[in-house]
Amino acid sequence: MAKWSNDRLDILSVDRRRLLQGAAGFGMALGMAGGLGALSRTAAAQDSIRAQILQIPGVGAGSPGDADWQQVGELCLGATKQNVQEGEFAGVELTFMGLNNQNLHNLLFRGFLKPWETYTGAKITWIDLAQADYNPRLQQAIATGTVDFDILEMGAPFEGDVCGKGLASEMPDWVKAQIDMDDYVDYLKAPVGTWDGKTYRISIDGDCHNFNYRTDYFSDPELAEAWKAEGHEGEWGVPRTWQQVQAVTKFLKGKQVAGQDAYGYLDPLKPWGGFGFYFLASRATAYAKHPDDKAWLFDVDTMKPRINNPAWVRAIQDVLDVLPDQPADQLNADPNTTGFQQFLFGTGSMLSWWGDIGSNARTSDSSVIGETIGFDILPGSDDVYNSKTGQWDKLADGPSFAPNMAYIGWGIYVMARVDGDAKKHKAAWSAAAHLGGKDLSLWTSAYPSGFQPYRKSHFNIAEWTEAGYDEAFISGYLASQSNSYNHPNAAIEPRIPGIFQYYSVAEDELAKVFAGQVDAQTGADNIAAAWEKITDSIGREQQIKLYQASLGL
Amino acid sequence: MPPAPSATASAAPVRAAPDPARRQAIGRGLFWAATALLLAAVLVQGLHSAGWTGVGFANWRPVLYAYVLWSVAVCASQVLRHGQQGQRALFVLPAFLFTLAVVVFPTVFGLFIAFSDWNLSSFTGRQFNGIDNFVAMLNDPYYWNAMGNMVIYVLAVLVQYAIAFGLALLLNAEIRARKFFRVAFLLPFMLSPVAVSWMIGKSLMEYRFGPLAQAARFLGWDSPAFFATPWVARASIIALDSWVSIPFIMILLLAGLQAMPKDIMEAARIDGATGWQSFWKITFPLMLPVSVTAIVLRIIFQLKLADIVINTTAGGPGGATDTVTSFIYREYRDRSNVGYGTMLAEFYFVLIVIFLTVLLALINRWMKRFPTT
Repeated sequence: MAKWSNDRLDILSVDRRRLLQGAAGFGMALGMAGGLGALSRTAAAQDSIRAQILQIPGVGAGSPGDADWQQVGELCLGATKQNVQEGEFAGVELTFMGLNNQNLHNLLFRGFLKPWETYTGAKITWIDLAQADYNPRLQQAIATGTVDFDILEMGAPFEGDVCGKGLASEMPDWVKAQIDMDDYVDYLKAPVGTWDGKTYRISIDGDCHNFNYRTDYFSDPELAEAWKAEGHEGEWGVPRTWQQVQAVTKFLKGKQVAGQDAYGYLDPLKPWGGFGFYFLASRATAYAKHPDDKAWLFDVDTMKPRINNPAWVRAIQDVLDVLPDQPADQLNADPNTTGFQQFLFGTGSMLSWWGDIGSNARTSDSSVIGETIGFDILPGSDDVYNSKTGQWDKLADGPSFAPNMAYIGWGIYVMARVDGDAKKHKAAWSAAAHLGGKDLSLWTSAYPSGFQPYRKSHFNIAEWTEAGYDEAFISGYLASQSNSYNHPNAAIEPRIPGIFQYYSVAEDELAKVFAGQVDAQTGADNIAAAWEKITDSIGREQQIKLYQASLGL
Repeated sequence: MPPAPSATASAAPVRAAPDPARRQAIGRGLFWAATALLLAAVLVQGLHSAGWTGVGFANWRPVLYAYVLWSVAVCASQVLRHGQQGQRALFVLPAFLFTLAVVVFPTVFGLFIAFSDWNLSSFTGRQFNGIDNFVAMLNDPYYWNAMGNMVIYVLAVLVQYAIAFGLALLLNAEIRARKFFRVAFLLPFMLSPVAVSWMIGKSLMEYRFGPLAQAARFLGWDSPAFFATPWVARASIIALDSWVSIPFIMILLLAGLQAMPKDIMEAARIDGATGWQSFWKITFPLMLPVSVTAIVLRIIFQLKLADIVINTTAGGPGGATDTVTSFIYREYRDRSNVGYGTMLAEFYFVLIVIFLTVLLALINRWMKRFPTT
């Protein structure tokens, strides 16, 4: 898999090199023919800007602050200037609603947009929300018809609530050109960000769960010897399937690595406002997402939940099977605890999480695993459940992989309420396009921002190493993400209204299963029953229609 | 030389007092005009919101303004109609009208919502669904599990009371650095429960590096997971809650102890009563009114317990620490289930009122057995 990862990266970077070589060659030809080579200069200038912003403040030079964000915003204004005259939006006032998680998101946006405000003359008012306040604030605004913001930072799972109800403004073509949408990784292209064929979203993030593991565990000769002595199958190494993850987790129970208790896979089991469900999904996709079927959470035609089918029940049972082999407080460990207090602190050897774990492993002062962390796409399974036949299939080309595109990333959306005012409409889209700009996004991928790489151009290793990143580390980190994004069997989350209601209810039921109050099948049946109620409450026919639309069917 | 005040007064035109009948008529007119305005505003906006007419306001804010205007008119009409008696009513009336607006109206309006299917993600909006929410509540194992937990949390108030009484007696005694201890013991009450749940629940009691976990290991507990098994988790939540709440009970009891007449204790001592006898026969009965107040207030607070649970365990493991409020929080906030969440809250409110009414009646009956009270 690692081999495939590097090959993929090579392809991506070669593509880009070819593109630049082509552009440079074309420019040279124009120059030789007496032209000015403008295109060549543009490409070179853009490269210069990319290299320049990656030095702000510089890898290992501490956390960036507002001055850095403003500087990056200023340097990336070029694309805006091509579409907007100076002072064109004088007198326009926009309201921007977004998050303030970990002092990122809106705080960065303020800095990035400050030079934009100065140049265009527009003024932005900010609504900052904590993550936990986001969903209720948004839902209340929608339900009570009090949308009081023009620009919205929003995750794709909420698109059903917003775009599905006609509350978002359709993206103009000039914005598509300005942000170079073709540069998005494949899974972020339509249907993500679109409803009924119309495009609404400017992506600023690309989410997926990847597999983080400890290289020191899997290169430990004593563990290798013990693995063989205990008669386990195959050589001691990084698990590629969930079956192997289970075996390794059980094997490590009671052993020690570097004088500390060894643990295998870490399951976050404490509810986390619905977000904890993503972690069970990451275990389940390899079982439940069949390559011949786009759906994996509900039946497409009926919205009948699949959560209680054999694939999901197997994933739940897997958690139960290794629960005694995990740290004693695992039942009270939410994803944050599992990622940042356990794994980065040296507890456990395998973890599914978003890209934050990788980006924090070397940059966080509290991390002790910066030199011993490796990355891959989520494990696969020897067999995959086929919902249509009710059978477990073994694929001809080996284990089935289905990376979980958990949350699908943050995006910027412009609300339909600006549509009646041409000047405001252009201003809102210009601000959104500035935040979703190609160059600016390289910076947010490389520095603490809350956002992961999400464009093909983000996977050019040379840019990262020039900025100061260790090549082996960054190659592995980026490969685990690009290979997830571009995987042909990636599990894409349904973008239907109220998706977090489903997740939240599931968390409650799963908590009972993990506490031993009900078995896996009963718990899954309870979740399915609760999900049916939610679907009926929201409106089944409408949900089916939107579910199909979100899958591009 | 300034003119004599009397001369000034006599020079000023004397304002004739309005005719009482006319004044009353103005008062009545003011009241009915304001009432008509308010009703018109409600009617217009109600019909507009229901989609029956195209005439109306963009939102309900003008109705609020009409209510404020009506409130002012009611107060003014009281004065005009009832003179000095009306002026006296102004001491209470504004507070009553304010309570009506922010407590009574939302509670009654909540009932309206409680009998509807209102999922914020729904395309159809709010739909009246009769007693469906009530029936669902009766069959909701999460709600009744939380209710069961509340019994345990409320019983824990008695333990908190006993500890607080002990501390109050200690701080009432002639001990060294008494003032320092009084302030020190009060500090936890000044902390936000959210801060306590992070500082203690998620830091001091953290399984890997928490000092309390380390101390527990030192004392022989191999796996000091404070929130991983039901009863240990419940006990830990109660301990965190007690840390914040005991000082509140203690300070009320301390105030009661200090107000207690000292001559009675002196007399008891001269008569040869032991410390134990003095406590049970004199201090405890005399302190009963304060004790009842402290316990009832604490029970009211306890019935709303949520913040520590949400932050520390999210109701787990498996609902073992869930409270009614934290469950309603999840239902309303995470699931946008406004109709059902409101039904749970309204029912809980009614239960609390009944419970406290019965409790106070029983306490009153019980206290009559103590002649000193």
